[in-house]
Amino acid sequence: MISKRRLADLVSTRLMLAATALVGVTVLFIAVMLFLKARPILATNSLGDLFLSSSWRPSRGEFGLFPFIMGTLWVTVLAGIIALPVSILGALYITEYAPPRVRAVAKPVVDVLAGIPPVVYGVWGLVALSIGGIAIGFNVLSGSIVLAIMVIPVILGVSEEVFRMVPQDVKEASLAVGATKWETARNVVIRSSLPGLAAATILGFSRAFGETMAVLMVVGNIARVPSSPLDPAYPLTALIANNYGEMMSIPLYDSAILLAALVLLLVVLFFNIAARLVLIKVQQKWA
Amino acid sequence: MNDICLRIHGLNVSYDGHTALKNIYLDIPHRQITAIIGPSGCGKTTLLRSINRLIDLTDGAKIRGEIWLDGHNVMSDREDVTSIRKRIGLISQKPSPLPMSIYDNVAYGPRIHGMRDRKELDKTVRSCLETAGLWTEVKDRLQSPATRLSVGQQQRLCLARSLAVRPEVLLCDEPTSALDPVSSQNIENRLIELKKDYTIVIVTHNIHQAMRLADYVVHLYLGELVEHGPASEVFQRPKQDRTRAYINGTVLTKPRTDVEINLKGKVCPLNFVFAKAALENLEIGQVLKVIVDYPTAITEVPRAMEYDGHKVLGVKQLNETDWEVIIQKRE
Ligand SMILES: Nc1ncnc2c1ncn2[C@@H]1O[C@H](COP(=O)(O)OP(=O)(O)OP(=O)(O)O)[C@@H](O)[C@H]1O
Ligand SMILES: [Mg+2]
Repeated sequence: MISKRRLADLVSTRLMLAATALVGVTVLFIAVMLFLKARPILATNSLGDLFLSSSWRPSRGEFGLFPFIMGTLWVTVLAGIIALPVSILGALYITEYAPPRVRAVAKPVVDVLAGIPPVVYGVWGLVALSIGGIAIGFNVLSGSIVLAIMVIPVILGVSEEVFRMVPQDVKEASLAVGATKWETARNVVIRSSLPGLAAATILGFSRAFGETMAVLMVVGNIARVPSSPLDPAYPLTALIANNYGEMMSIPLYDSAILLAALVLLLVVLFFNIAARLVLIKVQQKWA
Repeated sequence: MNDICLRIHGLNVSYDGHTALKNIYLDIPHRQITAIIGPSGCGKTTLLRSINRLIDLTDGAKIRGEIWLDGHNVMSDREDVTSIRKRIGLISQKPSPLPMSIYDNVAYGPRIHGMRDRKELDKTVRSCLETAGLWTEVKDRLQSPATRLSVGQQQRLCLARSLAVRPEVLLCDEPTSALDPVSSQNIENRLIELKKDYTIVIVTHNIHQAMRLADYVVHLYLGELVEHGPASEVFQRPKQDRTRAYINGTVLTKPRTDVEINLKGKVCPLNFVFAKAALENLEIGQVLKVIVDYPTAITEVPRAMEYDGHKVLGVKQLNETDWEVIIQKRE
């Protein structure tokens, strides 16, 4: 006869396993379903034509996804370049430098920013562009700025929590040999927070990936491979959001859109897994 | 400079209005070991953190007074706090390795102060690890993370890291309180060797340790300086009643031993068996003294006896090889 406590332990272990498995199975299920739906286009067009060709002429049966993939990368990478330094320096300021009174105000402000629905940022971006932004226009840069503004509060908020976890003792150990505050922040605080910062970044962008509306309002949506931040772009997310459910009369169109969704899923998965692996490496080195 | 290293002049510290140190006037002798003793909460840590200005980091701390090091007032706003901390190192109670390799931990300070040359760094790292008594244990894994070291090794690494910036003064806040008896002994031996080149100030709760190490003793009580003077005087003829009470209260009640067994030459499991058997024959409250020389036994015998519910009153090194463990029988 097993005791009640042992039983509860056993059941909860099983339940947790089941919950984890459910999440994994869902991802797998989505991937398989998207693949099945994308099969017709994979059967008629070669992989090279689909992924490396830049010609997107659905009415002629040409579905080159390359411009969209590049559009996604451009907007995301540029947004990262803008968002990461701002978030990390901001979080450092709040945890390490700001006097207690500033800290008390800054924290709730960041939380509020993180809670604003992304579409509001999109509309704000549109308004800002139409007022003073003729010089910027509808292009990668505008999209990246809007995306960066969306992810900064998330990354900043999480980074701040991560920085706060660094033990005071370790910071003092650095200061005690004569390091300045900035040297301590760089060598100790950021360094021991790297895993957490990576997680914060993934979290921020995973959220932003899903929230296309804001970006697609300002990015231009022209199916051409951008060659500079000032060119318009058409990210995968925008392609899917703009077109799914429309123009279904064109043969293979919906299949192409679902293929785009599959590619997006794989790209996100790839970055997540890559980041995890880097994390494990980093932890082994410094933990 | 003559024989005074640090001169503390009218130091007052308060936290949010609550006074932690009152009007401290104190001279700390050059290249000697000064022990600061006193009950918990009397301001020992506060005093050390004032001396190297780490107290600046505490929100709400207010400091008044002067601390002179070699013509510089450490407390003055005009002094560069990083160069003060380079000259006055601090080792904290809990070993706190930086999140990097063993090598980088020791090289951290020198690099910050501008040492770039690889050979010079190698040499510094090696000599500091040697001085801290850690070199032979880590020389083959300098690149592995410092956090993987044992706690005792970590504390010696912290010592090496402090030494690497060539400080003049070394402040140690209960450096052995997190360590087992062997590691504590190891640190104590290092400090005794180091005093020929450094001025050392050590905070300790362990009067025996203060007696073993100190040349000069400072007794604090509730933020006030009660008594200070050469160790021989303060320990043997304390002028103040409070000092006498503190010294007598904490230690001098040497446990009287009821039975003594000598386990020299015995290896480990046997040590437990004999110690256990000897305790069986005692009345509750009686005291057993065990002499051991097997290295593992020094930490494991006390641990096992405590596990059995007895009370370990003390572990002390007698000579090169022998240690005594004093156990009081319970239950
Ligand atoms: N950061 C702080 N904020 C407020 N009060 C503090 C702070 N640090 C210390 N104190 C107070 O100042 C007094 C002296 O503390 P301190 O840490 O210097 O004592 P200590 O002698 O080192 O004690 P222990 O032997 O327990 O380490 C205590 O009453 C303590 O409560
Ligand atoms: Mg203390």
